[in-house]
Amino acid sequence: MSHRTPRSHRIPLALAASALLGTTALSGCSVANSEEASSGSGAPSDTLRVVLQQEPPTLEACESNLTSTGVVIRSTITEPFIERNPTSGELEPKLATEWSSKDDKTWTLKLREGVKFHDGSDFNADDAIATIDRAVNSKLGCNVEGYVFGDDDLKLKKVDDYTIEVTAAKKDPILPLRLSFLEVVPKETSATEKVREPIGTGPYQLADWQAGQSINATAFADYWGEAPAFKKANYQWRSEGSVRAAMITSGEADIATGLSPEDNIGDLGVSYPNNETVALRMHADTAPFDDIRIRRAVNYAIDKESIVASLYGGRDKAAAQLVPSGVVGHSEDLPVWDFNLDKAKELVAEAKAAGTDVSAPINLVVRTAQFPKIQELAQVIQEQLTQAGLTVNLKMLETSQHLTYQVRPFPTKEDGAIMLMTQHGNQAGDAAFTVDQYMTSKGAQSAFGTPELDKLIAAADAATGDDRQAAFEKVFKYQNDEVVQFAHIAHQTGMLGISPSVAYEPNSSSGDELRLAEVTQAK
Amino acid sequence: MLTYLRKRIIASALPLIVVIVGVFALARMTGNPAALYLPLNATETMREEFAARNGLDQPIWVQIAQYFGGIFRLDFGTSMRTGQDAAEMALRAFPATLQLAATTMIIAILLAVIVGSAAAMKPNGILDRCSSFISMTAASIPDFWLAIVGIWVFAITLGVVPTSGVVGAAAWFLPVATLVMRPFGTLVQVIRGAMVSALSEPYIKLARSKGATEYRVIAQHALRNAAAPGLTVAGDLTVGLVNGAVVVETIFGWPGIGKLMIDSILQRDFAVLQACVLLTAVAIFILNILIDVGYALLDPRVRPSAGARQRRKARAAQGPTQGEDEHQNQNGAPVLVMAETSKGSH
Repeated sequence: MSHRTPRSHRIPLALAASALLGTTALSGCSVANSEEASSGSGAPSDTLRVVLQQEPPTLEACESNLTSTGVVIRSTITEPFIERNPTSGELEPKLATEWSSKDDKTWTLKLREGVKFHDGSDFNADDAIATIDRAVNSKLGCNVEGYVFGDDDLKLKKVDDYTIEVTAAKKDPILPLRLSFLEVVPKETSATEKVREPIGTGPYQLADWQAGQSINATAFADYWGEAPAFKKANYQWRSEGSVRAAMITSGEADIATGLSPEDNIGDLGVSYPNNETVALRMHADTAPFDDIRIRRAVNYAIDKESIVASLYGGRDKAAAQLVPSGVVGHSEDLPVWDFNLDKAKELVAEAKAAGTDVSAPINLVVRTAQFPKIQELAQVIQEQLTQAGLTVNLKMLETSQHLTYQVRPFPTKEDGAIMLMTQHGNQAGDAAFTVDQYMTSKGAQSAFGTPELDKLIAAADAATGDDRQAAFEKVFKYQNDEVVQFAHIAHQTGMLGISPSVAYEPNSSSGDELRLAEVTQAK
Repeated sequence: MLTYLRKRIIASALPLIVVIVGVFALARMTGNPAALYLPLNATETMREEFAARNGLDQPIWVQIAQYFGGIFRLDFGTSMRTGQDAAEMALRAFPATLQLAATTMIIAILLAVIVGSAAAMKPNGILDRCSSFISMTAASIPDFWLAIVGIWVFAITLGVVPTSGVVGAAAWFLPVATLVMRPFGTLVQVIRGAMVSALSEPYIKLARSKGATEYRVIAQHALRNAAAPGLTVAGDLTVGLVNGAVVVETIFGWPGIGKLMIDSILQRDFAVLQACVLLTAVAIFILNILIDVGYALLDPRVRPSAGARQRRKARAAQGPTQGEDEHQNQNGAPVLVMAETSKGSH
């Protein structure tokens, strides 16, 4: 018996060893397609490091209403014509300095002079018209078109180099608000293809995007406004909230978005109202929701104050309507439904006596991981409605399946009544963006409505100023008194992780547009 | 060997086609992606335009014909989510996963061979019991929990490695340490079992009686014969990692194909999903071939030529029982083995 390794075995062993060594060398220290620069290298005081929940799918300007895109580009890489102050709700000048209309249909915009794009070209009326035309009138399929403008095109006219006229298909008193969703790009930007890396006028310009890893931006030397405090910005993304929080506590990042207290962020977590409202939408086409007494009983049976206190640490606020304070149309006087289990039981008994099948199953449709503690919230609601005498089944679905219940056409072959848990965010600041979708008889996310409510909504949409505020308040009151499609749960809060080395005051828009120019070094 | 390889390639090609068609069909059965890509209040016109833009308005057979036509041109289409070329996205992510998988498996195999061999030296001894406890624990710890604890201990409390990311050598520590545990735990048990069995074989006693050193007995006789089951299990574990270490990639922000695939599934990004599945399926197909070749190199009994030779010899010598051959193992010791040795499933 020979103890020597046979030659025929030595060759494969040598090959295997070489392969292993080669792989190890390949692995070495750097991951494929990565570069050292992706860490946002540079002195910490020079670079603002932001960690997001996810990588932006694109930085296309006409998709900026997508949270993951807008949080990077809006008012940082690109800029809108008009900016909505997230705190006061007022519209403020950005690339348009003035706007006016005599008939609420044709609006004249005066444009800012002396603004340069990142490619060095000057901003003027041609760029403004190209931006609107591209986002609203083209066949690009821009997300902002569907979200804000609908099928109707806008007529555009250049008055002079720094003045344009925008004409809507019909009277539109909130056209300036709609225009605040458009991020301006140069006229050379393709009108037939979307552009992943836009050229803007913002305080930062894109330096590089390492797909899957990071985005780097540098301060724009020719920016028309005040120079930002940081010379560079670095975006990374981590799906797991506890990892984003750990990046703040370990000093690897300066700002982390989308956190919750469960992520162990401690004192470095800063809460802010994020304009999101959680509600239950009841479909009245089948029993027991075809009886308004049951829909009212649902509202009485849910202890919103306890839910807010126990599940959300008292940061959220019990809700009486779909829009929070700060949105035009929000009513401060509209009362939250009392928690009154006896009243709920009484209404269920009344409905039963009147012939309603109160034992019919109700499917509580909930999107998995839509927001923190959603499963616990659904279980609490299920239990409380069961105590009122209703039969509730919990149906946890992933996003795509949940959307089939959220948007028309709704499933028809459902074994039981549908009660959808919905999270609605009104980032536009006007209740029209809520009620048109959620409360009209044919609204994309409305299960039903009434002709009276439709009339109230149409009147509110056409109103301006104080009349508009009053008209929408009336809409929300009518919903709660006479329609009861919704059981509102809470106005939510978001949380940012902010490192002690930077100073930033989050506001209701911070989750959708993180304006890096507002972040400074801590003193 | 070439005939053997050709047969293996042909046998693996059919499942590959089934996987491609299956993913294509199943992905489209999970719902219309328009709901995910358009605003919730998008009008019917916008939905129709979206479908036309992405070819979703075509009959399914037209879509599948276009897809297969694209495969032959190496054109997998464009991502609905990012607007980028789907093949480019998959090819960009795959090397990062391969690096992670290779590094993990090299470390796991080396550690498992050392620990498993040491444990087998004295079955039921203290070392064997300790390694059994450690390996079973390692094989059962959930990746997610281990990753989070690892971040807490090494990145936050001790501050010796970054929490996540891909920059610098230190960034490898936590992802690899997290991933190594399960293969290590599983392989230790397999190698330990195989080594215990090998060390009790007559040829080991013969080697010892001839004065071979303990190192030579283990490394050159026992370990080589115990390597085959280890290779099979290591192959299975590697296939799992090549398919994407989703949890680890997600937690540590590792830009690999597992995370890309999960995102594509959740976002109904058909083109990217199909490109990822095809790429990983081909990689697994190649890996299986390599494992088969490795297995054949390790164990001459499974080589088709050797098997045929042995069968001929057995027939000539009218072997002891039907289906069994008496022959010598690679070290020259006589053993009884099944003529058609099963390699286990890959």
